Amino acid sequence: MQLTNEEKRMKAGEYGPGTQRAMDLLVKYGDSFDAEQFAPISYGHISYDFCPEEFWNLMTEGVGKTPHRVTTHPSYSPEVWKQWGLSLADNWAGEHERKLKRFLELGWLRTETCAEYLLGIMPRKGDIVSMGGSCMQVANNSLFGARVDRMGILISLAAAVCGRTPLMGLLVPENRFASHMVELEDLDVSNWTIAHYHCLGYYIGDQVPGFKPVAVNGLPPNLPFDFARALVISMPTSGSVTLGHIVGTTPEAPTLEAALGGKKPEHVIRVGKREMTQTWERLNVWDDNTVEHVAFGCPHATIDEIGRIAALVEGKKLKASLLIGASAPVEALARRQGWADIIEKAGGHFEPVCPSITNPFTRPDIAGKNQAKSAATDSARSAHYLATVSGVKVFFGTEEECVNAAITGRWKGEVPRWK
Amino acid sequence: MEIRAHMVSAGTAEGEAVVYKGPFSFLGDLDPATGKVPVPRHQLEGHVLANKVFVFTTGKGSSGGDFAAWVAKKNGNAPAAMICLESEPVLSGAVIVTGIPTVDKPEKDVFELIHTGDYIKVDATKGIIEVVGK
Repeated sequence: MQLTNEEKRMKAGEYGPGTQRAMDLLVKYGDSFDAEQFAPISYGHISYDFCPEEFWNLMTEGVGKTPHRVTTHPSYSPEVWKQWGLSLADNWAGEHERKLKRFLELGWLRTETCAEYLLGIMPRKGDIVSMGGSCMQVANNSLFGARVDRMGILISLAAAVCGRTPLMGLLVPENRFASHMVELEDLDVSNWTIAHYHCLGYYIGDQVPGFKPVAVNGLPPNLPFDFARALVISMPTSGSVTLGHIVGTTPEAPTLEAALGGKKPEHVIRVGKREMTQTWERLNVWDDNTVEHVAFGCPHATIDEIGRIAALVEGKKLKASLLIGASAPVEALARRQGWADIIEKAGGHFEPVCPSITNPFTRPDIAGKNQAKSAATDSARSAHYLATVSGVKVFFGTEEECVNAAITGRWKGEVPRWK
Repeated sequence: MEIRAHMVSAGTAEGEAVVYKGPFSFLGDLDPATGKVPVPRHQLEGHVLANKVFVFTTGKGSSGGDFAAWVAKKNGNAPAAMICLESEPVLSGAVIVTGIPTVDKPEKDVFELIHTGDYIKVDATKGIIEVVGK
């Protein structure tokens, strides 16, 4: 890679050992992809809680306040977990607190969410952002037209420390055209909910090799934001898709031709009733219908979603534990609306945690003897990680089916009758 | 027999090959506590990847692949070296951060020439795979 004088100074250690190590890693990383130079980032996004403490200390040693904004992924709340009676919560406290203290010293923003765009922190079209967390990578790329490359959690910390990322992959405009195209065959989407779009995204992610951009054709134009978001964020769960154009909805796909860059697609993926049914069934991993936990907020909940859940649980007493993953500002708005209190009165909880990978109720290494052994969700991404990371039984269905399960403790969800 | 390839992460290592013609994620496909593949119904379910030369197609899955690789490496349960057809950013970041010698873009068909159990030497820095034999 060709380094600027500033980058050479970073690599020579003039900005301290953390920056030097971070730059050394980024150069090796860029070289392995034949990147020729770095690009400055508009902002960086990292995860301190997912980052092993030794690596965190190596990268941040001697680093001062950064001139660029850095934000963070969903976090842990060991103190709150303890109040909820989760018996192994204490194991998580020390490391979390040490890293958080350093994070704040760096002047970085404690957004603690995988949906920062709900806080007004969103890239503009063309902005270069370095980030860990495949669900916001695909959201920022697809829904806002930002330039975000696929990247791991640890490398994203190195990029945030240095304020730059190798110019490669999806940062390069000509690499952003879709090579794979999805055609909906015999599906009427007029009664689809968020869960239906999750299911479609999960199927697509599984069908696209590597992280090639994909274009979804045949959906109604200007798809509601929550639907578009559900569709793209479940793609990098079953696979590695990092850019999903939705023709007629997302900024780089006003037309199919624009999404494909005027070329013919390399592959066409056809989706019909059969594929949707198989995927919906695959996301359900359970034998008896007892539901011990319900997880919402993958990705972190919107205020509309919280409002709908509040209306459904008002005056009820929940039989299953219910967690809504939401950022603190969205939770604060829900509280001002009176919705947070309604949900908490029914027995629900809010937390800026990842309700899928580190769901404190289902993770045996957090909940201990109080672990919920089964969980319902309307997110395919959540279903995937609850089953594989927590190893619990999973019910996948609509928001309404999930709320009913929280109230009754029983699953009555059904595979949709596709129109 | 030698196969030339492209360096992803520098270093040299050797060991027995484990060959899998599919994609791999450090998060989910490798148990950092045992060094084995924990995935039910996976072709490699129960196989040990720790200290082996793992041959596969490409990376996949969560951006947490690199921190999972870090934990596996600290536990002594990461592969000794890795050979894949074409790497991708999460996998490359993981092997660079943890220092696992890795090459991609081999000039010959590694799935034809390397079999599980073969003894393999990888000089990632020079971009050379040496198939020593059984």
